[in-house]
Amino acid sequence: MALLAVEALEMRFGDRLIQTNVSFQIEKGTIFAIMGGSGCGKSTLLKHMIGLLHPASGHVLYNGIDYWQSDDETQSRLRAAFGMLFQSAALWSSMTILENICLPLEQLSTLDETQRETRAREVLEWVDLGKFADFYPSDLSGGMKKRAGLARAIATEPPLLFLDEPSAGLDPISSKRLDDLVLSIRERTGCAVVFVSHELPSLFAIADDGIFLDAESKSPIAHGSPRHLRDTATHPTVRAFLAREELPANTVIFSA
Amino acid sequence: MQLARLIPTRPVVFLGQVLISAATAAAGRKQFRLKDLWRVTADCSARAVPIVSVVNLLVGAILAFVGAVQLVKFGAGIYVADLVGIAVAREMAAIITAVVMAGRTGAAFAAEIATMQSNEEVDALEVLGLHPVNFLVLPRVMALLAMMPLLYVYGCVTGLLGGMVVAGGMLDISPAAYLDRTLEALDWSHLGLGFAKSFVFGAMIGMVGSYFGLYAQRNAAGVGVATTSAVVTCIVAIIVIDAIFAICANALGI
Repeated sequence: MALLAVEALEMRFGDRLIQTNVSFQIEKGTIFAIMGGSGCGKSTLLKHMIGLLHPASGHVLYNGIDYWQSDDETQSRLRAAFGMLFQSAALWSSMTILENICLPLEQLSTLDETQRETRAREVLEWVDLGKFADFYPSDLSGGMKKRAGLARAIATEPPLLFLDEPSAGLDPISSKRLDDLVLSIRERTGCAVVFVSHELPSLFAIADDGIFLDAESKSPIAHGSPRHLRDTATHPTVRAFLAREELPANTVIFSA
Repeated sequence: MQLARLIPTRPVVFLGQVLISAATAAAGRKQFRLKDLWRVTADCSARAVPIVSVVNLLVGAILAFVGAVQLVKFGAGIYVADLVGIAVAREMAAIITAVVMAGRTGAAFAAEIATMQSNEEVDALEVLGLHPVNFLVLPRVMALLAMMPLLYVYGCVTGLLGGMVVAGGMLDISPAAYLDRTLEALDWSHLGLGFAKSFVFGAMIGMVGSYFGLYAQRNAAGVGVATTSAVVTCIVAIIVIDAIFAICANALGI
């Protein structure tokens, strides 16, 4: 059984269709990329998968359990099984970095206060922020915030990790460092990773599988690893995105 | 059916969520951090004292000025203490303190939560299973609910002090005579009415500030709109609530 399965998902904001007929499966230990142009609904898809937005129709199944058909208790149990790094890192600004990591541990684990702090300091060491535990988010650079957000997401060792544009706004060196970190986390914990990205080097470096969302047809147009799609895809938008080929005239890139 | 359509759904749902959250916390299942409650409480109490003092002192002084000029014409200058005492205790200390807190703390709540909303911090809480009303709104409402009556008492004292200074300066009324007259004019019903209002104002400002923050648009303009809407709504609500109190007090003969 797939760790996560999305079946015939349709996403809408009111009457406006964002994407329809989105289906894919993610197995344990896979790094899965959600690709597509700006505004095509990648982050929206992620929010439907983590329970922040309700789909118009379709299913999101964790180990065969339909998230949106479950009661509140089951939904909270399912949510405990995933970590999330938001696009802006979304660190709670009134808390120190250490407190940011301790809060998920307090909510989702049975560790006592001392154990929580030990665990939080351990994950901060993983992401090379051990010396910044008592800093506030406003005192950190963009790359450090992303790493702190990643530390918060992995603190509970979730089997599934969601990353929303982890490399956005980072310089190539920080971006590469974050990619290496994601690979090392997968190696250490065996978790599956779902990530949204525009960054071609990141996509080619770490993704094993993926889906390409199209703004024009408002549905997925390709499925496979970014490297494989770059070499074999025939759809002009996919080729333009991954192989940087010229787009035919009048192609819709951004969703209306 | 027609009436039901006129009731705005979202604020009513929000009020219900706050009440359920308060009941859950009262049953010992709070979801917020005590550290956050202390931080907010300190911000809306000790740090608000200087501005509450200055504004109430001046309001007391202004009332005394206006009263002294009129009352002295009838040789009733000493009654300026009655006028200032009753006006401050029944109305002005509660209203002025609430308006100051709406502009200061209500706006800060709206801006802080709206910024958290635009930075996806609220989403991050929800992913953890922490409802923003439980984690963000309830500590703010509790802090203002607890601190507003104290600020009201402080506002009364500084308002009376402002009146006393003006009465002493303009009418040569000694502080002892002024205080004696004030104590004679004031009774517990005046203080109780102002005290009751300050509770309601505290809860209202906490909820209105948090509500506009929580439902703000996720951009910089949204933060500005949320802050402005929170302050304007709070000030209008303060006047409306005060009018309702006045009607009720009149009907009850308080």
